[in-house]
Amino acid sequence: MEKFIEVCPYCGAGCKFNLLVENNKAVGVEPLNGVTNQGELCLKGYYGWDFLNDTKILTPRLRQPMVRYSRKDPFQAVSWDEAIAFVAGKLGEIKKKYGPDAIMVTGSSRGTGNEANYVAQKFARAAIGTNNVDNCARVCHAPSMVGMMATLGSGAMTNSVGELENTDCVLCFGYNGADSHPIVARRIVKAKTKGAKIITCDPRHIETARISDLWLPLKNGSNMALVNAFANVLITEGLYKRDFVANFTEGFDAYWEIIKKYTPEYVEPITGLKPSLIREAMHIYAGAKNATILWGMGVTQWGQGVDVVKGLAGIALLTGNLGHLNAGIGPVRGQNNVQGACDMGALPNFFPGYQLITKPEMREKFAKAWNLPSLPDKVGFSLTDVPQAAIDGKLKAMYIMGEDPAQTEPDLDMVRRGFEAMELIVLQDIFMTKTAMFADVILPATSWGEHDGVFTSTDRGFQRFYKALEPTPGLKHDWQIHSLVATALGYPMHYNNTEEIWNELISLCPSFKGATYEKMAGLGYVQWPCPDVSHAGTKFLYTGNKFSTPSGKGQLIAYEWRAPADKVDEEFPLVLGTVREVGHYSCRSMTGNCAALTTLADEPGYVTINPADAAKLGVHDQALVWVQSRRGKVMARANVTERTNKGAVYMTYQWWIGACNELTIHRVDPDSKTPEYKYSAVRVEPIADQTWAEAYVKETYSKLKRELADAAVPLPAAAPAQAKALEPA
Amino acid sequence: MNRFIAADSTKCIGCRTCEIACALAHEPSHDIEALTPTRFEPRLHLVRTFQVSTMATCHQCEDAPCLHACPTGAIFHAGDVVQVDQLRCIGCKSCVIACPFGAMQVVTFPAHRVFAGIELPGGVKAEAHKCDLCANRDAGPACVQVCPTKALHVVDAATLEETRRRRQQHSALEPSGLSAVA
Repeated sequence: MEKFIEVCPYCGAGCKFNLLVENNKAVGVEPLNGVTNQGELCLKGYYGWDFLNDTKILTPRLRQPMVRYSRKDPFQAVSWDEAIAFVAGKLGEIKKKYGPDAIMVTGSSRGTGNEANYVAQKFARAAIGTNNVDNCARVCHAPSMVGMMATLGSGAMTNSVGELENTDCVLCFGYNGADSHPIVARRIVKAKTKGAKIITCDPRHIETARISDLWLPLKNGSNMALVNAFANVLITEGLYKRDFVANFTEGFDAYWEIIKKYTPEYVEPITGLKPSLIREAMHIYAGAKNATILWGMGVTQWGQGVDVVKGLAGIALLTGNLGHLNAGIGPVRGQNNVQGACDMGALPNFFPGYQLITKPEMREKFAKAWNLPSLPDKVGFSLTDVPQAAIDGKLKAMYIMGEDPAQTEPDLDMVRRGFEAMELIVLQDIFMTKTAMFADVILPATSWGEHDGVFTSTDRGFQRFYKALEPTPGLKHDWQIHSLVATALGYPMHYNNTEEIWNELISLCPSFKGATYEKMAGLGYVQWPCPDVSHAGTKFLYTGNKFSTPSGKGQLIAYEWRAPADKVDEEFPLVLGTVREVGHYSCRSMTGNCAALTTLADEPGYVTINPADAAKLGVHDQALVWVQSRRGKVMARANVTERTNKGAVYMTYQWWIGACNELTIHRVDPDSKTPEYKYSAVRVEPIADQTWAEAYVKETYSKLKRELADAAVPLPAAAPAQAKALEPA
Repeated sequence: MNRFIAADSTKCIGCRTCEIACALAHEPSHDIEALTPTRFEPRLHLVRTFQVSTMATCHQCEDAPCLHACPTGAIFHAGDVVQVDQLRCIGCKSCVIACPFGAMQVVTFPAHRVFAGIELPGGVKAEAHKCDLCANRDAGPACVQVCPTKALHVVDAATLEETRRRRQQHSALEPSGLSAVA
């Protein structure tokens, strides 16, 4: 048996383990004493590896390049040469006809690795000539990045996972660690046993609420009002640190102008919280020697996500809970490399290392390094701009790497219309997905476990993961594919291995410069900023209360509360929020192909509902129900639970039948373009004929699986002469 | 004294890693790909109410009601654990009714009989499932090993005595602070 060091490919906790391999087959996992996981793993870490063996439980692995010349036709197998020539030919045509900004490229915050993301954004900027590159941080923590950059200067967790257990107060705001990051939740449990106070702000009675000293069950959609009331209490009751505010922050007066009306009494009708509860929370938070705020999608997936992030940063600034050990604020990253995809510049406004594309000196630096006279200066499209831009005819082609927007974006009907409007969709992935069904070209890539690379965990920690399995012939690494297409487009790109890519990118990014492969070998953990090889990396940011904003001071910025966009009414009386299933990850192309994880949770997925609402509707626990919004209607299984608040229901987003994104609204935050996944008005209807409904689930599931499986088996490759005729002119 | 698995609800995060570990430890092939919804029988189960998340499992009772209820003598004391001789189990479910913790489960699967050297399908075979403390596993109970928050523990005579001693001391020193007992 052989052992290979891996970083878990699921959430951003950055857990390390050995992947056990026998005869080029994954056979197990053994936890390692990594910096963040300390020898522990959750169910996805322990039992989420068998997809590597192509179990075909949900969908088959992609094995060969495929092309179809009409979306009505089945895919046809082609050689890599033909596939690359076809993609480059079509992209070249589209670029010539509509300009480079008609092409959208995605990075991937999943198992591809940092090097693949660096190459993907270089492909977009240098080979295509556009800043239209983004990754699915857009639909999760983009507001954290935007909000923290504006207030503190850097968009990542200010602290480290390890510090969480030694803090004196954990304020969890819209953060359900038990389901999204069990190995981070573990630190909250440890903090509790060490005597920390725990405060949970969440409409649901989540696991953390259970062990909290204080639970603030705010109404769905009232985040900004509550955060403003927190600030109001800190200031009016003299709980804030005047010295810290005077010396290390700016903007207090304008901040107070907005905050002053948000008394706990003023926000009571908005939040539904007793004023005393808000006051007590701030007395605990401000009274702690070191306090930490953690947040997740409950803060970011709103039309007003960025503002709330700025508000939470403001709470930490007011109390001086930044710049020292065991304090800080942490947007806990949901995908294993969502921090990394952002670090690598798979963003429409940043080069790698958060260097602005709008700054001429940055463009000059990257243009010189990439042997080009100039680079585009226009900020590109965001992922959530894509459907509308395609419908409007502004985007004509999309080159997707390792993402499944046809499952994960809001308002899937609009996503499909966007895809249909495009002339070319290239999908580079490891599994047949719902998005693959819209593609013109499918390029099969190697999976996590089949390639080397570096991931960035949620607390800015670079870690290496190693190739454990020899990929089946016919697969290429993501960075190899992008390099081949770039070369065919007339921009030669070639790398021999991931270390070459890594060395190129760290030479261009001052804050990553010291994080060499050697330093990260084995269980090595290097947290950026790491400006040179002798630097140990940075556990927490802003030492000495020096912020990385232009003035070096923390910015206090407040906003008025805005109500969510969708409206509940008689017809659609319940709020739908989309949440996480602990045993599944993202679109579930990986976890859905894992036997144990699928056994634990499978289609059609649950809609959780409070017993009072269920009783009113005549909905029984475990019964199949319809959930309908103004945009769509899906079937799901009712989970009647007191942990769900009255007036709201929750679904997880990876199911095909219970696809909650058929229901979600396409309203985005104006600054981060992140969708308001947490608030869509819906109604739940019981189904009288449960036998029919159970059969419907079974049949629909089989049919969807069969369609994807069939599509993954292309027509055989055409004879050489015929293939030649199919090549673009 | 029998050893048993104790669950600490203040540490449980309801992730069910232990349920998979249990099902896999008792899967004869130990092959993860053998787990399916019809072949997934963990011997501990997550209980979730508004205020509680914890694992329900066998207490390895000293005077075990399941053992007394069994009409075929399939349930017996084996050293410091209550075990089931599956060959003798007839699937009568008396143990399920008798167990006050809901820790017994009777599962059935297609049975085979050998007649004149030929294997023939022959009705169903029943098994009474309960926590066996992973008796045949070198590393001890799988659930305890994988729990990421260390909410599960094997309690034996020594650890139980230690807990008693600590609580006696604590109550003597801080009689009013019983709720804070760790």
